Amino acid sequence: MKPLMLHGHDRALTQIKYNREGDLLFSCAKDSHPNVWYSINGERLGTFEGHGGAVWCIDVDWDTSKVMTGSADNTCRLWDCSTGVQLEQFDTRSAVRTCGFSYSGQLLMYTTDSTMGQKCEMRIYDSRDSAQIKNNEPMMVLPMPASKVTSAVWGPLDQTVISGHENGNIIQWDMKEGEMVHKVLDHSKQINDIQFSKDMTMFITASKDNTAKLFDTQTLTHKKTYKTERPVNSAAVSPLKPHVILGGGQEAMDVTTTSTRIGKFDARLFNLIFAEEFGRIKGHFGPINTVAFQPDGRGYSSGGEDGYIRLHQFDSQYFEFDIEY
Amino acid sequence: MPDIDANPSWADQVEDGDDVLPPPTEDFHASTGTKILTEYKFNDDDKKVKVVRTFKIEKRKVSKSIATRKAWKKFGAAEKDAPGPNPSNTIISEDVIIQFVHSKDSQLNDNDEDPLNKIKGQKMVSCRICKGDHWTTKCPYKDSLAPLQESLDEKKKDGDAVDAAPGAPPGGAAAAKAPGGKYVPPNLRDGGNRRGESMMGGRKDESATIRVTNLSEDTREADLQELFKPFGNISRIYLAKDKVTGQSKGFAFINFHRREDAARAIQGISGFGYDHLILNVEWAKPSGTNP
Repeated sequence: MKPLMLHGHDRALTQIKYNREGDLLFSCAKDSHPNVWYSINGERLGTFEGHGGAVWCIDVDWDTSKVMTGSADNTCRLWDCSTGVQLEQFDTRSAVRTCGFSYSGQLLMYTTDSTMGQKCEMRIYDSRDSAQIKNNEPMMVLPMPASKVTSAVWGPLDQTVISGHENGNIIQWDMKEGEMVHKVLDHSKQINDIQFSKDMTMFITASKDNTAKLFDTQTLTHKKTYKTERPVNSAAVSPLKPHVILGGGQEAMDVTTTSTRIGKFDARLFNLIFAEEFGRIKGHFGPINTVAFQPDGRGYSSGGEDGYIRLHQFDSQYFEFDIEY
Repeated sequence: MPDIDANPSWADQVEDGDDVLPPPTEDFHASTGTKILTEYKFNDDDKKVKVVRTFKIEKRKVSKSIATRKAWKKFGAAEKDAPGPNPSNTIISEDVIIQFVHSKDSQLNDNDEDPLNKIKGQKMVSCRICKGDHWTTKCPYKDSLAPLQESLDEKKKDGDAVDAAPGAPPGGAAAAKAPGGKYVPPNLRDGGNRRGESMMGGRKDESATIRVTNLSEDTREADLQELFKPFGNISRIYLAKDKVTGQSKGFAFINFHRREDAARAIQGISGFGYDHLILNVEWAKPSGTNP
């Protein structure tokens, strides 16, 4: 396969995400301009201009009308996806690490870092009540326990939020009561990424402790472990086949002291059920920071520390491959 | 090609100065569904460059929402981009293939990481009992031959000490061969390095140097000292370390005062299991002779 290299960022990618139908790919990086691309030919639709610092997270709502970004410039912003115009701006007291639209797109969530003497918080807004956004009065503010949030996603039916923490905790929050429902500690280090399977019954976590793990959404029971030799920065579940893709590599700060051969910056494909590695895809010149499956499962994209997004369409080899029992 | 009518001769074109760029052209071949875009521009050396790009035009049926989105105007940094991918942002990269890893050999898939695989072809593994190409512990003749070998070793040890003494240092051989008409640099001429020897002669006697390989990463100089001390006085230990991490690179040179001691160390330590690895000890090649 001939991947498309998308070069719209000057710095390391932090997150990439497809919209629901998979025709658009959203990307944000440590530079201040999130990008949006047509996934079919790699054409750039536009950039969202306004942030003044690294953009840590990006999300798009169900019908691809609004985009949400959280940045280290202490703002979280809402954008009109069709024009790139900024709609709203939430000012915070520390960097915004994660953000997300609920499945319906009505509720917004973002979490802030515990830096500069600030506490790590999760804030929830209801976009149906315009006063909440206008006056910056969130529907709910949840103070986070000791360890800060490093990744968070909305659960199914707008009922829960699942957060991954710096110490390896995974916590499920009830959004009606604002309470902690489940708390598990299966990872020993920071959770870098959480992504759902297509039907949202399971989610996969990527952790700095060199593993990715599969969990049940309702009960947070640990199902599978995918082991590697390096920190895993991102993991995604295929919507089409029982496959999992992991992106990682050693930490960015150690890259210069080792050669690329040792670094092993390839994306790795695992079987979902047997948790066995069956393939590798090379390409990036630095660790992979974020991966995303195309919603139809016929391709995937990865964003790396090298500033490039690589957009892959799987070829027939991939679809013909079957593991040997 | 550019239209010829405007400037009938290329010589005129050159004289007129080449500031004028022919207009870009666009050809569409409906039969093959390809569009060929031809542009002219100046490159960094002010040379005129023709850029030909071929696109395949593909029609896809998509849902209404996707079709609407495809018609959106570009914005932000992409505002001035022409329709279609901008070649400075979207680059087609080289072919990559998925390397399939089979579950059965998943333990062995780290070929370049496993040091055992690297050595495999070199016949570094040699059984101390039958001299076969396998580890001593896996020797099929372990039970029958081992006791016999031990008694042989006892006798051999006494003999070796005598053998090793008159052995000429291999360093002298390189300088000796250089007859014929070929130019030989002064420092390589016969006797050329004798002067050097005399100047730093006492410093180290390379003939009593052994090379230890297949050391584990955690090995320290003190460990080697302890390991080789029983064989005789050591003048110098050099353990190769990584500049950055300070970890051992897996080999070391050990200078003994006496060549007999070195010979015994080779005999004794080669094949010795140390820190889960089997050590390999041999005579060091004199520095300068290897490429």
